[in-house]
Amino acid sequence: MNNIVEFKGVTKHLKDFSIKDINLQIKQGYVTGFIGANGAGKSTTMKLMMNLLKADEGDINVFGMDYASNEKEIKERMGFVYDSNVFYESLNLKDIRRIVAPAYKNWDDKQFYDYIKKFELPLNKGIKTFSKGMQMKASLAIALSHEAEFIMMDEPTAGLDPVFRRELLDILQEIMKDGRRTLFFSTHITSDLERIADYITFIQKGKILFTDSMEDVQDRYALVKGNMDVINRDIEKMFIKIERSSYGFTALTNDVAGIKAVLGNRVSMEPATLEDIMFYAKGAERQYV
Amino acid sequence: MFNLIKKDFFIQKTQIGLLVPIIMIFAIFIENIHPAFIFLIASVFIPLNAYIFDQQSKSNILLNSLPYTRKEIVAARYIGAIVYMILSIALAGVILYVFQFDYTMSDVAIAAGLFCLIAAFAFPLFYFLKAEYIFIAAFIGFIVSTIILPPVFRFLAAHLTTITDFITSLSIATLYLSGAAIAIGLYLISWVVSQLIYQRKVF
Repeated sequence: MNNIVEFKGVTKHLKDFSIKDINLQIKQGYVTGFIGANGAGKSTTMKLMMNLLKADEGDINVFGMDYASNEKEIKERMGFVYDSNVFYESLNLKDIRRIVAPAYKNWDDKQFYDYIKKFELPLNKGIKTFSKGMQMKASLAIALSHEAEFIMMDEPTAGLDPVFRRELLDILQEIMKDGRRTLFFSTHITSDLERIADYITFIQKGKILFTDSMEDVQDRYALVKGNMDVINRDIEKMFIKIERSSYGFTALTNDVAGIKAVLGNRVSMEPATLEDIMFYAKGAERQYV
Repeated sequence: MFNLIKKDFFIQKTQIGLLVPIIMIFAIFIENIHPAFIFLIASVFIPLNAYIFDQQSKSNILLNSLPYTRKEIVAARYIGAIVYMILSIALAGVILYVFQFDYTMSDVAIAAGLFCLIAAFAFPLFYFLKAEYIFIAAFIGFIVSTIILPPVFRFLAAHLTTITDFITSLSIATLYLSGAAIAIGLYLISWVVSQLIYQRKVF
């Protein structure tokens, strides 16, 4: 299985934030969801991927090439959707097409107008009159009109109403069908990912905690509930974080098999959602994985 | 790169429409104005406006996400500015001619030289400044230049010949040539500086 994006030991220090020694692989042909709390480093990572920021240390490869010598070729094959509008606000889609289309060798006008029709976007209205959802669709239409093999989306579902969000997810599912594209998208609405993601990359405080397939995440992680009396120092080590209350405890583990072997029926287990993982990992005292 | 230069036209189509009436107003209603000043205003208009447009929105993110290198983006800015300067001066020349406003080729040359000087200082400064300060800087720059430049022009127009008389060893032609060389030299240095600043810029 090929990696379309590879980060090796990437470090970037910004004024009040840094990401350290990031290793990241994005698998070709799949949807990878990128989760983490606000300020965990999602946007910084994506900007590094787009060469909007340059790494202080480490290597970033996209399509097996580096930006220093192949910047244009990489960007030809990449599509982008940002969390806010990056197009000239006073222009309409027709004018934006005039600016963007000639930049790409593979631009397909027919494809563009097909998507505009499909997404029901007006061609002659200024982008500033577009709703958040329409802006998102416009970015997506542009990304899809130049045959982008890798589409990077920064918080595409943030600020969309539920109906629109589901519609967008359906569109994403559809564009992934032919298996030629790779999608990487960040979100903090984890339920979106449970629907469409094949892989999950979790970032916290500027560090990647894990990249795993959705099934692996579901197999390894669980919420464990039980009485306080089952907990001792060794058992405690098997948990990422324990929440104690007068009724007992709830804890997150990434070692379902281990817990089953040691505690068996003395505790109850339920599948952990991505949100549970995010929540418990945030309060974890120790770094795990 | 040509696409990036064309882009400056698309993003300010409506504002460019204003250029013609502005020049006409200068030509018809304001009598004591030096023609070089009209040419200068006309030539600064499009490049500066394009610049402000680009810095206000998140277009730096857009342009850098498209298949362009940072080098090309800066190069398009500098080459585009010259292209639009030439077109604007030609336009102004035609309008002034139509309205029988007298001017000479030396007015055009002075305006072009001053344009290069202004751009040479303004562009790197703007690349260096944060987007939110650019409008303020441009506004102050504009006010200051409208107050200071006309007397400077009048002074130059009145004394240029005396100055040249002073430097007897220089002919008018050499003077203009050396002026042009200085303006072009500064413009090229400015290009290199802008490129260095832009390479390091964080979006």
